[in-house]
Amino acid sequence: MRATVSLTQFKIATYVRSHRVLHPFAGLLAIMIVLYSVRVAPGTELSSYADSAALLVPVFAWAARGLLDAEPDVQRLISATAAGRPGREVAGGLAASAAVNAVLAALALAVPLAIGFTGTPGAVVLLGGLALHVLSLVTGTALGALTSRPILPDPGVSALALLGGYVAMLLVSLAPIAWLTVPIIGWMRAAGRPGFLGGHLPELAVITAFWCALALAAYIRLRRTRP
Amino acid sequence: MRLANLSFRYARRAPWVLHEVGLDLAPGTIAEVTGRNGAGKSTLLRLLAGTTPPTRGHVTGRPPVVGYAPEIFPVEQPFTVAAYLARMAGVRGLTPAAIDPWVERLGMAALLEVPLGDLSKGSAHKVGLAQALLAPPGLLILDEPFSGLDAQARAELPAIMEEVVATGGIVVVSDHQNGLAGHRGVLRLHVGDRTVRPLGHDAPSDTLSTAAGALSPPTASTSTPSPRVASADAFPTPAATADAPSPPATLSPSPSVTPAGAPSPPVAPAGVPSGAMGAATVVIEIAVEAGEAEAVVRKLRADGYPAVVRPLPHAGSEAR
Repeated sequence: MRATVSLTQFKIATYVRSHRVLHPFAGLLAIMIVLYSVRVAPGTELSSYADSAALLVPVFAWAARGLLDAEPDVQRLISATAAGRPGREVAGGLAASAAVNAVLAALALAVPLAIGFTGTPGAVVLLGGLALHVLSLVTGTALGALTSRPILPDPGVSALALLGGYVAMLLVSLAPIAWLTVPIIGWMRAAGRPGFLGGHLPELAVITAFWCALALAAYIRLRRTRP
Repeated sequence: MRLANLSFRYARRAPWVLHEVGLDLAPGTIAEVTGRNGAGKSTLLRLLAGTTPPTRGHVTGRPPVVGYAPEIFPVEQPFTVAAYLARMAGVRGLTPAAIDPWVERLGMAALLEVPLGDLSKGSAHKVGLAQALLAPPGLLILDEPFSGLDAQARAELPAIMEEVVATGGIVVVSDHQNGLAGHRGVLRLHVGDRTVRPLGHDAPSDTLSTAAGALSPPTASTSTPSPRVASADAFPTPAATADAPSPPATLSPSPSVTPAGAPSPPVAPAGVPSGAMGAATVVIEIAVEAGEAEAVVRKLRADGYPAVVRPLPHAGSEAR
C-alpha cells in the first residue's frame, strides 16, 4: 500500500512538473465559460451540473491519458520493480489519474457556486451534482486509461480513439436502451426530471459503474502484457 | 530462482523471442548474459525482473526485492537527481538518506542538483544503477551496466555485485562492454536462436569464495540446441591472451587466406578443441592490429563466438 501511495505521488509530481496538467485545466476553463457565462436560472442548477458532467468526460479522459503518458516507458519498468510488482504500478497510475480528476471535478462543482448560479442551491442539487461528476470522473478515467500509450502506442490513433470513444458513447446513449453504453445522455435527461436522486440516479450509476468496471478490468488485463 | 519452460513473444502470431527456456539460478550467482543485438537479452532480463510476464511457462523463486537498471536510463523526467532518487527511495519504503551511500560510491555528489535531462549518458547511467541498489536487492538485473561509466564507477561495480551475492543475492548482467572480463566465478549465458545456453561457469574467485561461501553452480537447460556454442572453459580470457607483441600487415576475412605469409589455419584454432564445436562450425581468421586484438576478442566473445588470440609466427597477433 505504501509503495502504491508513493508511486501515486511520484506520478502526480511528474505530471504537474511536466506542465501537461495545463491542458485539461484549459479544457475545464472553456467548458465553465460556455456553461456559466450567463447565470443559471433558479431551479435548473442540476441540469447545468449534468451538462457539465457530460461535457467533462473527454477532459477527464485527456487528463488521465496525459498523466499515464507523462513518464517514459522505461520508467514504468523501474517503478514496477521498485514497487515490488507490476500491479502496484498500474494501481498507482489509476489512483493518480483519479486524484487529478477529482481536483478538476471539485472545481467544476465550485465554479458555478461562485459565479454561475443565481443563488445557492439546496443539498439535493449539490449531492446530485457531486454524484454526476463522480460518474463522469470514473468514465473519463477509464476512457483515458484505455487510450494511454501502453495500450495505444500511436499518439494519433490514441487521440482519435479517445474522442471517437466519447462521441460513440454520446450517440449510443441516445438510443432508448440504457444498458448499451455509459448513459451520458441519460444523465442529462434524468437530471431535468423530478426525483433524480432517489429515482433515476441509482439505475444510471449502476449502468455507468458496470461499463467503467469492464473498461478498467480490460485496461488492467491488457497492462499485464503491455508493461 | 527457476525459469521453467519459459517462452515469450510480443504478439500472438509473432515469432518466438525465447522458446521453452529452462534455467536455474542459485543464490550467490553472478550470471553474464551475452548474445547478438536483438537476440533477446533485454527481454530475458525483463522476464527475470518480473516486469514482463512470459507468454508461456513461469518463473518461481524470484527474490522479493528486485533492482533493475535499464540499458538506457530515461532522463526525460522533470526531477533533479536528488529528487528522483528520493522519490524512488520512497517507493521502496526508504528515507531519502538511503541514497547517500550510493552517491558516494558511484561518485554522484556533484550531480545531485542537476536536472535529469541535463545529465550526460554516463551520469544518467549512474542514476539508473543507484535506484536499483537503494534497497539491498535479492535479485539485481543490470542491462549493459558498464556502458558510459567512468573509471571509478566501472571499478566499483564488480565489488557491488560481489556484495549482492555475498548476502545470497543473484546478479544477472547483460554485458556487451565485457566489463566482467577476467572476473572469476561468473556464469556465462548465451542468448541466441530463441534459447539460452550456458557457455560455462568460471571457478569462483578467492573474493567470492570467502565472501559468499561455496557458490552453488547454476544449471541451465533448453530444448533447442545451438550449433555455435562451445564450452567457455575453452575460451582463454582476453587479458591472458591479448598481449600480442607486434602488429600484422593485413586483414583477412577469408579462412582460406592467411595474412603475412602465415601457415594455413588449422581446422580448430589453438585453445579451442575441435570437439567443442558443432559439425557446421567454420573458422574465420581475422588479422588485426596488436593494440586492437583485445577489443575485437571482447566484442566477439560478447556475441557468443569462441574467439581466441594467437600470435602470428612472424608478423604479430591474430584474433580468432
